[in-house]
Amino acid sequence: MNDRFEPKIVAFLCKWCSSAGSDLAGVSRMQYPANVVPITVMCSGGVSPLYIFSAFKRGADGVLVSGCHPGDCHYIKGNLYARRRLALVKELLEHVGLEPERFQMSWVSAAEGAKYTELIKDFVDTLRPLGPQAKLRRRV
Amino acid sequence: MTASVEEIRAEVKKLLDEGAVKYVIGYRNGSAGPFAAPAFFTGAGEADELVWDPTCFHNLARFLADERREDVCAPEAEEDGKKPVGVVVKGCDSRAVAVLLQEKFVDRDAVYLIGVSCEDGGVIDEGKLARKLGTAKVEKIEFGVDGGFVVTTDEGPIKIESADILDDRCVECRAAYPVVHDVVIGEQVDRKPEEPYGSLDEIESLAPEERWEFWERELGKCIRCYACRSICPMCYCDECVADTIAFAVTADTTADEKAQKIKWVERSPDNSENFFYHLVRAMHLAGRCIDCNECERACPVDIPLRLLNKKLEKEAKELFDYDVGFDPDVPSLISSFRDEDPEDFIR
Amino acid sequence: MKKTGVFVCHCGINIAGTVDVKKLTEELAKYPGVEFSEDYVYMCSDPGQNMIIDAIKENDLDNVVVACCSPTLHESTFRNACEAAGLNPFLCEIANVREQCSWVHRDMDEATEKAIKITRSITEKVQLNEALEPISVPVTQRALVVGGGVAGIQAALDLANSGYETILVERSPSIGGHMSQLSETFPTLDCSQCILTPKMVEVSKHPNVKLMTYSEVQEVTGFVGNFRVKILKKPTYVDPGACTLCDECTKVCPVVLPNEFDMGLTGRRAIYIPFPQAVPATFTLDDKGCPGLLPIACGKCADVCEPGAIDYDMKPEIIEEEVGAIVVATGYDLYDKEKMAEYGYGKYPDVLDGLQFERLLSASGPTGGKVLRPSDHEEPKEVVFIQCAGSRDPELHCAYCSKICCMYTAKHAMLYKHHVHDGQAYIFYIDIRSGGKDYEEFVQRTVEEDNVLYLRGKVSKIFEEGGKLKVWGVDTLTGKDIEIDADMVVLAMAMRPSAGAAEFAKKLKIGLDKDGFLAEAHPKLRPVESVTSGVFLAGAAQAPKDIPEAVAQASGAAAKAINILSRDQLFHAPMVARVNENLCTGCEMCVMVCPYDAIKLEEDVATVNEVLCEGCGTCMATCLRAAIEVKNLRTQHVYDMIGACLVEI
Repeated sequence: MNDRFEPKIVAFLCKWCSSAGSDLAGVSRMQYPANVVPITVMCSGGVSPLYIFSAFKRGADGVLVSGCHPGDCHYIKGNLYARRRLALVKELLEHVGLEPERFQMSWVSAAEGAKYTELIKDFVDTLRPLGPQAKLRRRV
Repeated sequence: MTASVEEIRAEVKKLLDEGAVKYVIGYRNGSAGPFAAPAFFTGAGEADELVWDPTCFHNLARFLADERREDVCAPEAEEDGKKPVGVVVKGCDSRAVAVLLQEKFVDRDAVYLIGVSCEDGGVIDEGKLARKLGTAKVEKIEFGVDGGFVVTTDEGPIKIESADILDDRCVECRAAYPVVHDVVIGEQVDRKPEEPYGSLDEIESLAPEERWEFWERELGKCIRCYACRSICPMCYCDECVADTIAFAVTADTTADEKAQKIKWVERSPDNSENFFYHLVRAMHLAGRCIDCNECERACPVDIPLRLLNKKLEKEAKELFDYDVGFDPDVPSLISSFRDEDPEDFIR
Repeated sequence: MKKTGVFVCHCGINIAGTVDVKKLTEELAKYPGVEFSEDYVYMCSDPGQNMIIDAIKENDLDNVVVACCSPTLHESTFRNACEAAGLNPFLCEIANVREQCSWVHRDMDEATEKAIKITRSITEKVQLNEALEPISVPVTQRALVVGGGVAGIQAALDLANSGYETILVERSPSIGGHMSQLSETFPTLDCSQCILTPKMVEVSKHPNVKLMTYSEVQEVTGFVGNFRVKILKKPTYVDPGACTLCDECTKVCPVVLPNEFDMGLTGRRAIYIPFPQAVPATFTLDDKGCPGLLPIACGKCADVCEPGAIDYDMKPEIIEEEVGAIVVATGYDLYDKEKMAEYGYGKYPDVLDGLQFERLLSASGPTGGKVLRPSDHEEPKEVVFIQCAGSRDPELHCAYCSKICCMYTAKHAMLYKHHVHDGQAYIFYIDIRSGGKDYEEFVQRTVEEDNVLYLRGKVSKIFEEGGKLKVWGVDTLTGKDIEIDADMVVLAMAMRPSAGAAEFAKKLKIGLDKDGFLAEAHPKLRPVESVTSGVFLAGAAQAPKDIPEAVAQASGAAAKAINILSRDQLFHAPMVARVNENLCTGCEMCVMVCPYDAIKLEEDVATVNEVLCEGCGTCMATCLRAAIEVKNLRTQHVYDMIGACLVEI
């Protein structure tokens, strides 16, 4: 391993679209950086802002929340509640001065293994120059 | 012009005389200094002690939460106990009541809302007043006849322009006339601020790093006394994510549950913990905070908390066209969506 | 602390090739709570499963983590193994270290580190899991079939013949669908009506079938095994029992409307029977055109109706039914006319679509089976058929292939030649797709025996000149421009999902694919199931398909429905929301966000209907009091998982 900064990313993936899309990336043997540890949740609508703040506090350099495209939610509309709730989270994090790049939301369908791959590559590339996220991280 | 205190007293006296309410929550003179304090009026004879002046800052909706708790504790209360509680509400306070109604925390027939129109006035900002008058000892603050204030100090009365000491939230107020009420004292007004979110301009114009430095400095002061939480009419949860002490333990609570209680945030007032607490609080109040700004007033270390809450109020309006506390019958901000909600931030 | 067993699968080299499985096993052995940690080359094999069973018994394990492929593949395998060892299956969780790790990374150190974090995170989760029992739900042993085309008829017959009461709902006045409009069917050329009408009659007379024509499904609530359906029965204003089919009413009806059955080539009266073999055989008064419903207006049909079958006061009815399974066979429509302006469709009367041409060929059609031009009733001598009209054109029209057009265009050209022996048929095509039993041979017959001229290329423009339709195109095989003076042009229009399919899908909570067809649950392995459990798909509603495919899928959908209906009880996943009554303040936000109406307020406290709840957790993220949580994925689970993802190795 070389010396370049490797950001630590937590990704909350909905089970039916984004986690399945990520599975498809695997089945298709697409390659992306290993910086992201996925946590599969049932629906993006179930992602509480607490999860995001908590991930940053416990040392995440970036947080991704990914759900089904609008209209495709396995739970019909959970992603639309997520869209509204997480828009507020994003505004708030930027308001207190966190780099806007550190929190990312995406729609990845079960068929979009390629999109997931690109998303992770770009996310890691964006986070690398920012260095470690120290603002919200717990200082002990 | 402004609502007459005599009219408010007469209404309170009438309600208590008729036995139409259990008691009335209003304001009387504070025990120290010139500022009004919340007061509970139980007999018609006490009504003359009620005051109405530019220091009636307190959002009395706060006390409805306690009332509801008692209600839950004594569901078989006597007939008398089932009467509504009278509350004196300014426009902003009435919006808080509207949110409590929206969240079904308070029943509409459990409250009798004595609305008071702020007309062209509002409450003063203690800080602005102190800066304006320096060391002079203030004895009384009253509404002037032309929208300004008359402040009586030990050196006699002075007229002060509204703009000089009016609280920012009143400058940006969109509900000078109560939005829910049973009776309103004062003129009906439809006040539209020129810049409803003007106080955010400065912080929004800062570069992200400057914003970070600002909040790091401000939130770094937080001693986690939770005064902001205690005074907030919306902070009525039995259990708060911010501290484990408020964990509601009941007969059903298992040892495992107690042991497993998530420590989202440590009690130590480190910066990261303070940020977590205030971020969570801001999110918790998104679509619920009606900008009474009691948190900031109560804060012993002067953290500009309003800039957090106001930001989310602004985003709720601009992103989702959501107005907080104007209609108790609409779904809340986070329990609704529109198909056209913006998603340009989503990849 | 509970005792966890961790089982690391090599999956041959699929995992072990990139993840250091030994290190993963060792690291996990050191993790708090892990009592047992072992790796094996194929965990899903019998020896692998036995290893898990033995380890549970020998080490008295409380829960199990298997680090292997995606949980979509072997979760049930390993949960069953745990159950065999006496462990509640919901105490077994899968760490996906293949699809989400070993297959997407090359660097072994990095992949191993990530696999450790993933497995630790799942270990944290399983430590908090509770033993759960599936929720049992009784089944209403009746079915609903929506759409009375050949797919719907077939599904209804299969269900009814298996002994299940079946409601067949069709929104037009007769069942039969588009198949009843066809003349002959490829590749055997048997007459469409002749093979369809027996089925129409059978389904309408079947003791287990409740046929509801001129009816629409308005609302669907409930869930698999227990749907409640509201069906709107539109008024026909004719009592089918009294109507003797004497046809006197149409003779006096003054209102002429386009005849849908003849694709607008002829007119019909406001009171009409869609076609002679319609089922049910009765007249319908179309209230959109009829003035008679107004008290002072026409009333002529009622005047001449001897049996008094006409009742202007008939009202729409809402009929409520309970069913256990639903088959959706809402069929297709042709691509919008307006969108094919470049081919003069809708502008020139002799530019027809495929279904209009079917009517011209049909013995019961407007020309009595003679191929005549709509404009002047002359026999066309030069006919140009254009395939892919609206299909396979991602820039301007539909990106997909409508699949049946190659075959029916060959059939059209062949039948045209059978009618007009001295005529010439040209077919513009992009490719000929004739996969199917005897299909290729059929196309060859068209070319060799009927001398139909196939031109590979697209038509750029069609315009009228000197009483002819000038067709400009290009033959890409010779590279030459082609100009044909045609008497008639037939467009093989793209197939679209039928009008209203999208709204109907919303009512059923089933998804659409990118083209607007109803989405199947899995493109390969679950092609007749929708994403909503208990709702199945049949026919062209799911994708363009021909008659044998539609019928096969209908039987498949019926079999899937029977799979549910044949049971007394269904089992529902128990990862559902649970309310902490001490914390709930009754704000109803969870009630509002729940996509399944699974939460109601009872005595000011939210109460979850576990049968309706699908466990999405939107209530959990919305609740301000943390008073509602999804079992086995509570906030605490996620909190601990986040921690495990971020701790340095």
